[in-house]
Amino acid sequence: MELPSKINNNDKSIQQGISPSGSRDLISNRKFTALVVDSDPICQIIEKAILESQGVETQFVGSGIDALDLLASGANFDIIAIAWVLPMMNGVETTRRIRAIGNHSKILAVTACFDERKKQAFLDAGVDEFIEKPLTLEKVASIMREMKNG
Amino acid sequence: MDRNKQHRQVALMRQSLFDQGLLDEQFVQLEELQDEANPNFVEEVVTLFYRDSARLILNIDQALDKSPLDFAKLDSYMHQFKGSASSIGAKKVKSECTLFREYCKAGNGEGCKRTFQQLKKEYALLRKKVETYFQLARQVGPVETACRSK
Repeated sequence: MELPSKINNNDKSIQQGISPSGSRDLISNRKFTALVVDSDPICQIIEKAILESQGVETQFVGSGIDALDLLASGANFDIIAIAWVLPMMNGVETTRRIRAIGNHSKILAVTACFDERKKQAFLDAGVDEFIEKPLTLEKVASIMREMKNG
Repeated sequence: MDRNKQHRQVALMRQSLFDQGLLDEQFVQLEELQDEANPNFVEEVVTLFYRDSARLILNIDQALDKSPLDFAKLDSYMHQFKGSASSIGAKKVKSECTLFREYCKAGNGEGCKRTFQQLKKEYALLRKKVETYFQLARQVGPVETACRSK
């Protein structure tokens, strides 16, 4: 039967970074993953829904500690969206520790209040982008376009 | 005909929420996330917001009763509240959150208390209006039902 081998070929092609049709733009078709780190259940649900609407497989955790535990267990994410206010360890410290373990995910600081001081603290800790809440479909689509284009 | 009239009523009610400044573009984003798999996503998220934020409202109320006021704690609570309010598109509530935080930064306890009273009014008003809207929308059903031929 054709189907299993087509699937296998697709898997192999994906690993090689080329499309089953042969074109080299399949990187744009691979499944991206994200982790939302936010203690607010509303933000968790909405940010997950927004990311998933853009085809990003998303999980959420409620604290920086949980995020670090998940990463330590071997989980990898293309995108990590981190809030400022988190229990026990804030978003800046969480970011610092994530970078300290050698993680190279695209980290987005997603926070309720724009504050130059907060923004700088996040950037110094290693975030790639600082976004004032709410996270929007447009913003995520723009980030995905950027990531897919390498 | 009756059905169409009801749908127009729902649409007008929805529009009034934006015209009165109660909701902003973020609410539209939530509507865009609604689909066949999650047909009540917006109502569920807004319901969860009111359920979850009751805890924060209580925390802030209690913190405002203390003397001296802990502005850092108040600011932190409000930061969280603003995050979820902005995520559902609660425009006026979000504005009051911003004003409250400015009073916190200025160490103005009276300003905080006054603003919080206004915030609670806006919060309650929005709840009443969106609940009425959701109730009517549920009764009337989706637009497709109305257009279905007999």
